[in-house]
Formats: sequence, structure tokens, C-alpha cells
Amino acid sequence: MSDAAAAQFTPEEQEWVDAFLAGTTLFLGPDPEIMNNHRMAPRTADEDRLLSGPVDANDLDRVRKRIVAGLDEAFEMMEQTGAAPGAKWGDLTSAVYSASGDLIHISTGGVLAFASVLHYPVRFINKYWTGDPSVGVHDGDAFIHNDARYGNIHNTDQSMIVPVFYDGELIAWVATIIHEGENGAKEPGGMPSSSESAYDDGIRMSPFKIVERGVIRRDVLTFLQNSVREPKLQYQDLKVKLYSALRIKERVLALVEEVGRDAFIVSLRKSLEDIEAEARRRISALADGTYRVNFFSDSTLRENVLLKYPCAITVKGDELTVDWRGAAPQIMNRAFNSTLGSSKCGMNQAFLGFFWPDLPRGISVMNPIEVLADEGSCVNPGNDAPLGQSLQGIFKTFGVTQALFAKMQYSCPEKYGSVIAPWFNQINTFLFGGVTQHGEFVGNVCADLNGMGGGARAHRDGEHSMAPFFAAMADIGEQEIIEDDVPFLQLISKKIKRDAQGFGKHRGGMGYEIAVAARGTPLWGFATVSSGSKFPAIPGLFGGYGCPTYPLAKIKGVNAFEQMKDAPETWSFDYETLMNSRPFAGARYSTHHMGMGFELAEEGEVYMICQGAGGGYGDVLERDPEAVMAEVEAGYLTSEAAREIYFVVHDPATLAVDTTGTEAARAAERQARLRRGRPYTEFVKLWVTPEPPAHLPYYGSWGDDNGIIHATAWTTHGPVRVAAPANQLPQIFLPDPNVIALATKQARIAELETRVNELEGGMSRLLEGS
Amino acid sequence: MKRISVDIGGTFTDCFVAWDGRYIQAKALTTHHNLSQGFNEALDHACTTLNLGRDDVLREVDSVRYATTLGTNALIERRGPQVGLIVTAGFEATIPLSRGRGYGEGLDELARNDMSSGTRPEPLVPQTLIRSVAERVDYSGTVLMELGRDDVRQALRELIDAGAEALVVCLTNAIENPAHELRVQEVFLSEYPAHQLGAVPMLLSHQLSGRKGEYVRATSAIVDGFLHATMYYALSELEQNLREHGYPRPMLIIHNSGGMAQLNSTDALQTIHSGPVAGISASEHLAGQASLGNVVATDMGGTSFDIGLVPADGVKHYDFMPVIDRWLVSVPMIHLVTLGAGGGSIASYDRLHQSVKVGPRSAGSDPGPACYDRGGLLPTVTDADLLLGYLTPERYAGGQIKLNRARAEFAVDEEFGDHLDLDPVEVARLIKAEVDEQMANGMAKELRIRGYLPEEFTMLAYGGNGPLHCCGIAAHLGMDKILAPPYSSVFSALGAGNMPQLHIHERSVPLILFDATSRAMFTDFGRFNAIVAELEAKGRADLERQGLPAAAVRHRLELDMRYGNQLVTMAVVARRTRLESIRDVVDLMQVFSEDYGRRFGEGSQSPEAGIRVTALRVASYVQGETIEFDASPPDGRTTAAHPAGSRRCFFPGTEGPVETAVFDESALEPGLAVHGPAVVTTPTTTYLVQPGWRIETGAHGAIWFLANSPEQEDRR
Repeated sequence: MSDAAAAQFTPEEQEWVDAFLAGTTLFLGPDPEIMNNHRMAPRTADEDRLLSGPVDANDLDRVRKRIVAGLDEAFEMMEQTGAAPGAKWGDLTSAVYSASGDLIHISTGGVLAFASVLHYPVRFINKYWTGDPSVGVHDGDAFIHNDARYGNIHNTDQSMIVPVFYDGELIAWVATIIHEGENGAKEPGGMPSSSESAYDDGIRMSPFKIVERGVIRRDVLTFLQNSVREPKLQYQDLKVKLYSALRIKERVLALVEEVGRDAFIVSLRKSLEDIEAEARRRISALADGTYRVNFFSDSTLRENVLLKYPCAITVKGDELTVDWRGAAPQIMNRAFNSTLGSSKCGMNQAFLGFFWPDLPRGISVMNPIEVLADEGSCVNPGNDAPLGQSLQGIFKTFGVTQALFAKMQYSCPEKYGSVIAPWFNQINTFLFGGVTQHGEFVGNVCADLNGMGGGARAHRDGEHSMAPFFAAMADIGEQEIIEDDVPFLQLISKKIKRDAQGFGKHRGGMGYEIAVAARGTPLWGFATVSSGSKFPAIPGLFGGYGCPTYPLAKIKGVNAFEQMKDAPETWSFDYETLMNSRPFAGARYSTHHMGMGFELAEEGEVYMICQGAGGGYGDVLERDPEAVMAEVEAGYLTSEAAREIYFVVHDPATLAVDTTGTEAARAAERQARLRRGRPYTEFVKLWVTPEPPAHLPYYGSWGDDNGIIHATAWTTHGPVRVAAPANQLPQIFLPDPNVIALATKQARIAELETRVNELEGGMSRLLEGS
Repeated sequence: MKRISVDIGGTFTDCFVAWDGRYIQAKALTTHHNLSQGFNEALDHACTTLNLGRDDVLREVDSVRYATTLGTNALIERRGPQVGLIVTAGFEATIPLSRGRGYGEGLDELARNDMSSGTRPEPLVPQTLIRSVAERVDYSGTVLMELGRDDVRQALRELIDAGAEALVVCLTNAIENPAHELRVQEVFLSEYPAHQLGAVPMLLSHQLSGRKGEYVRATSAIVDGFLHATMYYALSELEQNLREHGYPRPMLIIHNSGGMAQLNSTDALQTIHSGPVAGISASEHLAGQASLGNVVATDMGGTSFDIGLVPADGVKHYDFMPVIDRWLVSVPMIHLVTLGAGGGSIASYDRLHQSVKVGPRSAGSDPGPACYDRGGLLPTVTDADLLLGYLTPERYAGGQIKLNRARAEFAVDEEFGDHLDLDPVEVARLIKAEVDEQMANGMAKELRIRGYLPEEFTMLAYGGNGPLHCCGIAAHLGMDKILAPPYSSVFSALGAGNMPQLHIHERSVPLILFDATSRAMFTDFGRFNAIVAELEAKGRADLERQGLPAAAVRHRLELDMRYGNQLVTMAVVARRTRLESIRDVVDLMQVFSEDYGRRFGEGSQSPEAGIRVTALRVASYVQGETIEFDASPPDGRTTAAHPAGSRRCFFPGTEGPVETAVFDESALEPGLAVHGPAVVTTPTTTYLVQPGWRIETGAHGAIWFLANSPEQEDRR
């Protein structure tokens, strides 16, 4: 209703109108008022009253520790009993909230990014279901939820949210959440890279009641089981989450009984305020100013494009402004979009995981932070955009924050973590689906995603394949145990990928090769969901190299197991050798970007990828030559890389360093750099163009002007470059790459037919002439 | 019964001698350069009490049993040979990558969560000493690619040339089909015969662990290979020393599985943490003798605080993949949890919450607490205990360490003075409250996650700082009974004296008891029984090899079970060791369901998702004669002990100073009682009796801390 129309109503009429509208809401979709607010709620009158009296900080701290001990107990319970692969590697958490829905604490272990996103669905329940007679919130109830539009990292995570009543009063909420994987999406495994609409993302649970006064609603459970490929997993982990949440509830109630309701509520609120105060103090210690970086992604996961993720962080006093304006626009039929809430998860992961790892994880750490993002951008899309691979956006918002914070903290005397180059930030792993050797249908993801290489530090090298940036102590697992449950083998399982390094004075941690092949299954397929095959996923720091690019390689039309058995001399446990020597006659060898939609694999067909490396730190010419040669000896570097990248002159046979020769080679390279260098203004003149190259499918701002977004839109006549402020851009849809490939082939066929006709015509004329 | 049992710790060698109903405890400093010297000295002290010569005693005892930290120390100090590793091709970086998470194994939560600083420990086997061979076996044991002998020769040659002094072989799925690991051994022995000087030992992973998991199995073999020579020589030296002094039998080595065996039936890995495990075993023995019901064993020393569970239901709590030093390994080890650092834990100001924080940093024993006057500048739990009046400065550690109160005050004031408007004694009170509650929270979590209620447990408190903090911890847990056990200063040695000769054999065996997809029940009883029989035969053979009669061997069958696709399994003790009908299968599932429901909540079970067995484990043992003593609680008919004096002490939850009676060790005679608040100082420890508690002394010097009932409090 327009303001002019509203102005015609008297206050009494307005009340009638409001009552009518409130009673005739078609659909309770994600509420922008909730979803755009990442901050904690103001103190309630009760909290204000309780905190205005004397408070014993030590007593409250002990209450806090008891709460966290309860959360850790539930976390361990889920880890022990969870059936999803995610539960086994710690992709889960447990949480406690205030009654108003502020997330206060999460468990010490697990994925801490949940801390910045789990409050949204609780606020939704508070706002919409508490007073709704058809739903209501009662003691013994529990709510389930997964849709990121209502607040989640992504839709494979399912949460169980339980109200805690004491003497009839709602005093808190508790929740448990697990990365479940399979969710009925277009592809198995819950993270569909080929999702083309929100309806391809799988089941989308807005927060709803699954347990009513202590009893699981079997009808609703059956609906959920009926909506996914793994009804067993859906059932089993629903119970795991429920009973773990009930365990937290039990601990909370026992604690309240012991310390009293007021002490409990004060402890919750004071924790929030303490964390905010500490975050502000730490921000104040940073030098004021604006820090900028641009990241790029080379893929929508369906095709190679260039997507820009700019970030500017402004520090002013005790507040930060994080500005993502200028980011690539949402693409309405691609899966990489990530909701604003999810995008903030990436940012929060950088804060709590890397800069302030000692801070308790709660919502209020975000209080001093303002986030700016264009509506309709890929980091703040509309509700109709597909989100199947929202991790792409989250990974970039993590990456840009991490890259900037290293620069911000370098000169700050107080540091809480190491100054570190960007962590590898793609899940270079296989998703899988099909029928196991035990006859079960499964769909999920390999634990290799947890093997991301760590960034190099200011003081030492990064760690090889150490952990995903989002979960400390995650686990890449044991292949023997995994093979017990799924019908594919890793023929190359853990082998450091030679020369694939973020070079630098300190090098980034390296990744490893993986080659998989299905065996003993009637139906099986794989998918991959990463970018970074043409443009490095992460840069280095202070002169260090970024990570290499990583393709997907396939060997189709061969059964590797038959080769290994009958002609073992043809098989090689080495990705590079297999692809370069092409040992199997008749097989098809190909490389691709890492956004492979789910693809059926015949027995013994080989799919190969590499886990990625962390960024390097500092100039390669400053790396200790002995450290370089140690890696040649270990097989991590070739002699050529040692010589050509690090300029270490050595004897390839003995690996002895020629110190004098190395010094001379490095001095010569420094001189060569000076010769290659240009004054900045000259470089700008040579390099800067007013807009992106016309042939490049480019998305995002260009140069320093983040107010104009460039995008390659598709019309009936093909690709067209458009440029406009974010809110004036047309909706971007991209054509199906298979359709384009088909059209290209059809055009080629037509061209060849024309040519044949011409030749036949010419032949006829010749024959006629003869 | 005549028996010697010994616990060789990092500082002291503890000795317990049972001699026809007499029990003697003795201690000597551990002599790391030659363990025999410390052992002989400790034994000599005991012999003096018995008025017998060392050789006379050794000739007559039925056994000499050792628990030792030798392996732990060797790992920490990285004393061992260069180990070379052979793996399946394609798995070359399995060990260097350590499942990703290896950077944080063995560290506290804060260090684990700081990924930017995370760094893996120096490897026991560097990448340059790892070679691969082309071969592949699948999950069921089917050979997919044959192992070529030439490939093996090449790998062996390269490792030997690279300087490997011990070799480990871990090939994928070798526990399902060990043929390729055995082929490597065969080639190795033909190329490098064992009888030649300089022969290099080779360990095969499937012989060390029957569990799936190529990383943990390889790590286990590597740790074992790394420790093997060091432990073999040190323990052989001990055995030789015994022989020279008249002891004719093989000595027995305590295992971390809760049993023991002769040296020739012991892997180095099995000895790690054997001392603390022996303490838990002593707790179990005591709990049985005194009918204590559920017991949680706590060992709070100067630098560590460990706990172990001994529930009355007889369930053995194991860690199947414990972390040893910084390494995740695969060995069934009695569950031990380290909760904190004991008296040396450093207290600091928590700026975030404006409160007192204790740990995780520790001042250790060097420089130790500030009050030790050895250069420590940071306040610790022991400093707080001193300021609160609990410790007698001139009698601490038998008078060996003179405590400096001024140093403790200064350290507390330096850390907290600018932040808290409290005097050092008030801060010390907060430190005491914090550390007690922290330990209580840790214990509560350990118990509750296993389905137990802390208030239904009795705490056994041993170790130097146990009797000082046990009342505070127990009060937080709702426990009303604590036992500072007899012979607590040599408690692990006492435990070693009661352990059975025991061997555990296990095997990963995927058995589906209930298939959720086909809705079929398990009926292949023959296969199940054959595997159990095989595991029993292995255990029996182990025990027979050590001279024990086959008829005396007993077996306990445990199954690791899970619902659906859970990764972590629960150990279930089977009521029967053979399956004969579907009724036995149903019974097994019922036992699992009961245990699971108790642990995770009734109703949390998911049999609809299927029920699987992932591993079978047989503990084979011969229960020998145990040391009997009366450990029953006192009957309450006590008289009040006479204090030696009094002083002002401070207690959490009590306003101001409290005039507190101070007693010496004479107050701990049987039949006497000491009512709190009170402090009892002995040469080895301090007993703090908090208000609302009393202690009564039982037989053999067992000290019972008992919470007064409301009526008793009223009467006082």
C-alpha cells in the first residue's frame, strides 16, 4: 500500500487494515527484519533489572562454564552417535540461546561459523509460531529447520531447536545441528552444483515443529524421509540431534535449579556483553583506515566465468565496516549464490577461527561490525536464487576477510593468532551417490574436503592438508573404514601433489592427489563442486604465490581394476603419469573444471582431483635453499621447480646446494625483476582498461568503482555485456552449457553439411562438365 | 602370598611388597640411566622393613611386576631408531598428513582451535623414509593388484640405504588379507636374514592391530618400532638384574589394557601409560573388596590430574584409539582422561569475563609454583592453597620443599592486583573454587556422557594433591564419600600387584545383526563363532606360551556395535561367547539397546536403521591370586583425634577466616575421626577436611572423607 493511500485512513481504520493484513498473510517467508539483523537484541527489561544490581563476575563465569560443559557433552554425544559423515568429522555444533533468540554459546569443538547464523530461525519461531494457535511453543516441543533463507550456513545442515521452560516461563532455547549431507536435492549429497532454481536445492524446511510435547510427529518424519534419498539417515540423525538437545536442556534445567533463574539469565546476557566489549577493545587496537582486496572465482560450477568478490574493511575506533558492494550479481539459475546470513558466516569464521581463536563463540562478536552488500548480489541474493552451492560465496567472504586481516594485524602488537596467508578455501573432494555394496542407496561427500592446505605463516611454512578453514580438528578419515561402507576405492588416496605449492619465503601447505573408481555397484556416480581450475582460488600474502589451479581429470571407457589385475604394468599410482602417458588403449582422457554435475560412472572409470594448497608468504628468493632441497628429497618439488621458482642452484643427483651459485642466480633474478618492472603510472597506463575485456564472461564491478556492476547477460541473440548499478541490472540467467555445446555442435554440423553440399555440388558440376 | 610390584615413574620408583599378609611400601628416586639401581634401592627399603636380604626376598616371591613410564619418556624425548615405512602405493602421505587433525592431537582445546598457529609435531617417520609398493587389496580382502617381489626389493633397498634402523609395513586392508604384508616380510628375510649382525627388525601392521584404519594401524606400528629397542634393552636389563639376585622366573610387564604379560609377550606400545592404568586397576580391586559400588579414580599430582572410571556394572571403558604423546594409535587402552595440570596449574586473570581462570598452562615442577622459591613467578593452585592456610610451609613434601608465602602473595598480587579489588587471600579463594569446579565439570562430563550420575559414585583420591582438593571437587558433584586409599603414595604399584595376566585380541568384522534394507536378521552363527574361537585361541596361546595352564584361561567377549551408519561404536559385553540361535542375536541386540539407552537416553536408540557389529574383541586372562586386605569403610564408632594446633584458614563459600584445627599423621590412626574444618599434614600429602566433612580412618590407613548429613551437621 502506498504512503498516500495509507494517509487516507484514520487511526482506527488503520488498525482494522493492519489486523486484516496480519490475518491474511499468504506465506511466512524469510523475514527481512530478522534476516538483515546479525546483532544481538537489546537488553530486555528483566535483563536490565537483573544487571543493574550487584553482579559477581566469578560466580557468573562459573555458570557460563557449566553451560559450555553441557554443550560440549551434547557435542560429544552427537559425534559418537551421528550417522552422517559430517557428524563423524565434527561438522556440527550445539548451542544455547537467550529466550529472545540471541545465540550465547556454542560447543567448544565443531564448526564455529554456526555461531553467526543459528539465531535467525529461533527469532522466526519466537516471532511467528509462539503466538500462533496452530503451532505454539510448549514444553516438550522441538523444531527442525534447514533452509538457509531462514538462517543457516547451507541447506545440508539440519538443526533441532528446543525451547527450555522453567516454572512455565521460556528462559532459553537450545539447539543441535549437523551437516547431514543428503537432502533430496537435484544431485545426491545435498550440495548440488547443477541446481538451477531454489526448487533444485532439495527439501527446504522453514522452522517447523517435529516433536510435539515430547513425541516425534511420525507423519512429519515420514514426509521428511520421503523427501530425501536416505530415509534411514534422516531418521537416525533426527533422533541423534533430538536426544543431544534434550541432554543440553536437562543440564540447563539442573543448573537453573541450582543457581536460580536470575543468575542463569544474567550469566547469558553478561556473556554476550563481555564478548562484545572485548571485540570492541580488540578492534580499537587496530590502526584506523580502509583495507581493500579483490578475490575472483572462475566458475559458476556449470561454466567458467569470472566473478568478483571485492572487500573493503574500514576500521574506525571500535567498529568495523565490511563492504562487499561491487560483488558479482546473483545468477538466477546457478547454485553459487549465498544468502547474506550465510555470507556473514564466512566472515565470522575468519574472525573467530583465525584472528581471535581464543574468544568464546557467540552472536555478539558481530555487534561492532557493519556489513554492506548490494541487494541482488551473489552474497545477498533474493529468495528465488538457488543456493545449492552457497559455500562458494561463503568461502570467498571468508577468504577476503582473512586476507585483509593479515594486513590489519601485522603491525598491531597484540595478536591472538598467527599472521597467515590465505587458507585454501575450496572443497576439492568428491560427492557421491548410488547403491552401495550392501544394497543401500546413499548420497554424500568424501571427508577429503577436510584436507585443505594451510596458509604460510609469517614465521614458518603452512601445514599440508591440515583442516578445512571452517572446522578445527576435522578428520580426513581412514580409507579402509570408508571403503567398508561405499563401493568405490581411492586408488590414489594420500599423495602430496608435486610442485602444486603456494610458493614463497614460507610456502603454503600442499594438497594431495585423489583418484577414485567405483567397484561392485549396480549404480554409482560422482560430482565435484569447486572453482579454481583456471584462476587460483586464493592469493598469496606479501609476495607469496597463490595456490595453483586444479582441474578434474577423467579416464573413461576403461576398467582400471581389470588393468591392475591383468596388466599391472600399465597402471600407475600417479595422476600426472596416467594423464600424460595415457597407458590404456581405447580409453578417453579428459580434463574439466571442478564443477562436475552428478555423473554416472562405470566400474573402474577413474576420476582424479587434487586437494588444494594454502597461499605462500613472502618472496621466493628469500626461502632457505636447504628447505627447498628438503622438499625435493621428499618428492614434493621437482628439481626444475627448485631451480626455476626458487632459484636454488643444486646438483640434481646429490641434491647438494651450490650456495654461491644460488646467491648469484637470485641476485640475477632480482636484477631481471627491476628490468621487467614499470613505474606505477606507466603500469596503470598499460594495464587498466575502462571495462572488462569484451570476450570475458565477467561479473562484478570493474576497477575502483563498486557502484557499477558489469555482467554478461544472455539474450536470444547470445551474450551481451551490461553495466548498471546493482539494483538496475537485469536478472541474469545463463544458458545450459549442454545446450550451448549442442548448439555449437549443431552449428558445426550445419557448417560441415554446407561444406559437403558445396563439395558435392562442385563434384556434380565437375562430373557434368566432364 | 609373596609378591613385588613396581611402578617406575618419571621421578620416583614406587615399590609395593606383599609378604604373607604384611604389606610394605617403599620409594626411591628413579635412576634413568639404569632402572635397576632405583628398583634395588626401593626394594632394599622394603627389605629393611621385613628384615630380610634383597636376594632372599627375590628368591621367594611368586612374581615381580613392572609398570613403567619408560616408553612415554622415550617418545617425549624422541629417543629411538630411524624407522622406515612401507605402504601401499597411493598412500605415501598418509602418515605425514596424520588425518589432517594430527596437528592438534594431544593438545588442549585452545591450541587445537588456533588453526593459524597449528603445527604438526616432528614426525617419527619423515616422508624421506617412506616407500610405497604397487599393490591393492579391497575392503573384503580381495586382491585387486598383486604385489611384485621386485618392487618390494627396491623399496627395502632404498630404505636400508637411507638409514632405516627399523622397518614397519602397513598395507591397505592387510587385516582382511595379510598376504602382501607377509610377502614383504618373506622377501625381507630372504634379503636381510635375521641371524646376521646388524639385522633390522620389521613390524607388520596386521600383527599389531586387528582394526581397520590404515593411519592408526601404521602409527601404532611406528610407535612400537620406535620404542622397541629402547624398551627391550632397558627391561631386559631389569630382568637380568632380577636373575642376578636370585629371582628365577620371567618378570611381568603391566599393559595399558589392564592386564600384564611376560616381556616376550609384550609390545612396547602396550606399556605406555601402564602406571596410571595400574592405578585404575588398584581402584577396581579396592572397589570390589570394599563393595564401594561405582568408583571414579582420580590421581591429582603436581603436574597432572587424571581420572579413570570403575563402574559397578563391570563395564570396561577403553579408548580404542588413544592419543599417545602426540600420536593417534590403535590399541585397546583402559580409558584415562587428563583433565588438568594439578597443583602446578597457573591461575590468571580472564579479562573477558573479569574472573579468575586456571590452566591450561602449568608451571610444572620446574620452576614450579611461585612459593617453591625456584624462580616461578606465576601464581598456581599450590600458591593459592598455601595462602588459604592449607599447607604447612615447613612440612611440605616431607619438608623437602620450604614454601615461601611471600612469593605466593607477590605472584597473586602481580597477576590480579590491577584487575580485582581483592586481597591475595580472597583471590586464592577464587582460584580454589575455580579449580575444584573445573575438575568437577570435567569429571561430570566424563561420567554423564557414559550414562552415569556423578552423585552415585565414590571418588578415590590419590596422588599428592588429591586429598587436598577432593572435598571441593566432590561437593560440586554431589558425592558424599571419598576414599584416599591405603598405600596411596604407591597406589599404581599396588595395582600392578593385582592385575591378571591378560591378552586382548580383536578383529574388525562387519556383521549385520539386523539389515534395515532387507529386514533380515543375522543367521551366520558359524562364521561368528569361528571368529570368536580364533580370537580365543590366540589369547589362549599367548597365555600358554607363558606357562599358564589352558584350563585356567577365561575369556570375555566384547562387541563393538552401532546403529545404522554411525562411525563410533559402543563396546558391549556379550552374555554368551557363542551364538546358537536367533534368540542369542535378539539377546545381543537387547544388551546393546539397554546400554545405549542408559548412555544416551531411553528412546534414543535407532534399531530401525539397522544394527551392526564392527569388531569382535576377546580378552583372555588368567586371574591369579590377588592381594587381600580389609578395605571396608569404618563402622563410625570413632573418637575425635587431638589436634596438634590450629590456624586460620579460608574456604570457598565461607565468609572470613575460619579457625581450623591442624593435625599431624597421628590423627590418621584407625578408630579416630577428624571433623572439618581441619588440616592433616603428613610427610607425603595434606588432607583438607572442608567444613561439613569429616575423615575417618579404616584398616591399612585408608582415609575416608565423609560428608556430614544434615542431622550430623545439626548435632555439631
